[in-house]
Amino acid sequence: MAGKVTANNGQVGENVKFDRIRRITGYLVGTTDRFNNAKRAEERDRVKHSV
Amino acid sequence: MRGNAVICPEIIKKRNGAPVPFDVKKIRDAIRKANDAARVEAIAPFQFEKLVDAVVDAIPYGRTPNVEQIQDLVEEKLIENGFAKTAKAYILYRAEHTKVRKTEADLVKIYRELTFTSAADADIKRENANIDADTSMGTMLKYGSEGANYFVDNYILPKDIAAAHINGDIHIHDKDFYMLTETCCQIDLLKLFEGGFSTGHGYIRQPRSIASYAALACIAIQANQNEMHGGQSVPNFDYAMAEGVACTFRKEYYDAVQRYFWLEYDCQEVLEEEFRQALKDAMPERINMANIDDYEAHFVDWFMGCGEKWLKKTPKEEDIRRCHRTSIRIAMKETDMATYQAMESLIHNLNTMNSRAGAQVPFSSINYGTCTSLEARMAIRNLLKVTEIGLGNGETAIFPVQIFKVKEGINYNPGDPNYDLFRLAIKVSAKRLFPNFSFIDAPFNLKYYKEGDYNTEIAYMGCRTRVMGNHYDPEKEVTCGRGNLSFTSVNLPRLGIKAHRDLGVFYQELDKRLDLCCRQLLHRFEIQKKKTVKNYPFLMGQGIWMGSETLGVQDQVGEILKNGTLSVGFIGLAETLVSLTGKHHGESEESRKLGYEIVAHMRAYMDQKSEETGLNFTLLATPAEGLSGRFVRMDQKRFGKIPGVTDREYYTNSFHVPVYYPIQAFEKIRIEAPYHALTNAGHISYVELDGDTAKNPEAFEAIIRCMKESGIGYGSVNHPVDRDPVCGYTGVIDEVCPRCGRREGESVTVERLNELRKKYPDVPVYLDANH
Repeated sequence: MAGKVTANNGQVGENVKFDRIRRITGYLVGTTDRFNNAKRAEERDRVKHSV
Repeated sequence: MRGNAVICPEIIKKRNGAPVPFDVKKIRDAIRKANDAARVEAIAPFQFEKLVDAVVDAIPYGRTPNVEQIQDLVEEKLIENGFAKTAKAYILYRAEHTKVRKTEADLVKIYRELTFTSAADADIKRENANIDADTSMGTMLKYGSEGANYFVDNYILPKDIAAAHINGDIHIHDKDFYMLTETCCQIDLLKLFEGGFSTGHGYIRQPRSIASYAALACIAIQANQNEMHGGQSVPNFDYAMAEGVACTFRKEYYDAVQRYFWLEYDCQEVLEEEFRQALKDAMPERINMANIDDYEAHFVDWFMGCGEKWLKKTPKEEDIRRCHRTSIRIAMKETDMATYQAMESLIHNLNTMNSRAGAQVPFSSINYGTCTSLEARMAIRNLLKVTEIGLGNGETAIFPVQIFKVKEGINYNPGDPNYDLFRLAIKVSAKRLFPNFSFIDAPFNLKYYKEGDYNTEIAYMGCRTRVMGNHYDPEKEVTCGRGNLSFTSVNLPRLGIKAHRDLGVFYQELDKRLDLCCRQLLHRFEIQKKKTVKNYPFLMGQGIWMGSETLGVQDQVGEILKNGTLSVGFIGLAETLVSLTGKHHGESEESRKLGYEIVAHMRAYMDQKSEETGLNFTLLATPAEGLSGRFVRMDQKRFGKIPGVTDREYYTNSFHVPVYYPIQAFEKIRIEAPYHALTNAGHISYVELDGDTAKNPEAFEAIIRCMKESGIGYGSVNHPVDRDPVCGYTGVIDEVCPRCGRREGESVTVERLNELRKKYPDVPVYLDANH
């Protein structure tokens, strides 16, 4: 992704999103954009477990 | 009426357009069934005949009618003749029936959606998150898949099974591949590489360096992936790569010796193959990293004896010793670098090389951690190092799924030979989500384990699949050359809802569902059995699947497929328990007991089925995939939003404690562990950590150790891994990137990035388009 970003008047990053890697149903996915609706909802609902 | 006799059409058209002979009996049966269902409205025999005649008579003369038109007439005549209740029953029956079968119009609608809607707007295009359905090949794949589903639903599946799938009682996974192949396979790379192999497009020699071992591992995974619908796994990755590392080490050692004398003694002849071969022959056996130090005396003796012949002068003993020691050092260093590069390209390849018409990369998994040779350790150390660094711009690698096999005495405790690798695996997983951890010491895995035989070490495939026990051939309870044939999941929460807290009803209905699933798996197996070796040029043609090496190209694969597994899975144990008791297993001890009983019941059913058939029926903790939303959507429509059951957009993954339920990590592990022992087709447990806890290696290791001690078979830790592609930061990003300070979509100056690069070398370099 970064390879495609070129600077424009000394600025970079406009409209560039953050990557958010998540494991869902066992596989890692580089962006939650490609999750189906149910998977998005599941990821959103997750709570952290305390140790 | 045209005279007294009613004139029947000779043929009618079925829904798919196929002509079939007209049969008036079908009309009679339909009316009778509807009338029976209406109960209070008995049609007298003379009325009945009149009604049938009226329908047949109304069929337009001279044109071939279709089923729908005839059904319309039945409805019409029932109403005309005052049989309102029967008409209503008939309409209901018709609706049920057409709901089960998709019509061609539906297929066209799906094709339109695939063609004219982007993945962002069409859920159907995001079913599998690793396929980019916006690309042409991704869409082509979906066309094929939807067309195949239509065909299988309408023409292949027995009606009750098709109905059960379509109405969401069960889910037949990878149904689009129903007529074609099996799910997955565990590939023994050592067996495959021995003597070389062919991909169907050319013969490949036995590899002779770690670079080739790694490259061919990718090719084998890719070739096999193109013949199966599930993932591909290497159960013995470290054992296999060790051979490649050993090849490179040997080569580097002899190269170094030759160069040493070439330079020190200014002697061209030592560069000849003849010298190299003579030296190799002089060694007591093939050299490797472990035995090479011991061969110093042999080396010296040989040179003192016949060295003059090659070197053209009498060598000094101290030179020979120095040559040996320096060559070992050089060979170790060169091999380490070559191994690093090989592992780097393996990860890069597995994230970029295409399969399935270019729409996705292979679903690859590699298992490792137990081979203790120096060569294997070098391979795994470098693999972990590469994984930690990430891809070209520091991105987290999505593939392969990496699985570290934890075993007491090998890598679990301080003092174990691979304990350092276990610690490294924890460090890498805390940054990159991989490796996951599998536990050979879990009793249900340990019972197969034979020390020193990698084939008996449990391995997992991708998100959870496990193939080890073998009811068909108890002599072959091993990993390599076997896999899952197909699997089907039960909608468990629906059974819970429909049982209305009556456990008797629940188990009765569950058994019916399990019976249906097993029947369906056998129906599919009958199709799979008839395939021949030529349908699988790589999987069977190259002897990867167990026993395929004994078959000819035209032979059927039915018998050897019996080494694979037929699995029934389930999702939503949590929702099922809520519907039965009001509480899920995370919140109540009573539900925990019931949950265990239900899953144990299913396992016993599968074991019984194995006994009856001589096949491997196993129970799977289904990962849900596209299914997590599909079942609940349908159940919401049917039963409304039941709190804790159907009120979310997904059903909970297999036996997991719901993701939204606050619980302590160790408690979650202890609650889920017993289910691992029951789900012999595969399972996994997750713990969710926040970014800071995940970075604490002690906390991370404590969780992995708790999994091992609790009897978990396969587990992993989830934590947020975010990345800002602009400045290259990897870690947790909330609203603002902690490194460059930008928000999502905002820009940052090149100047600032140049400044940051002095501190963080992984900040990408930018060219300004306007300069």
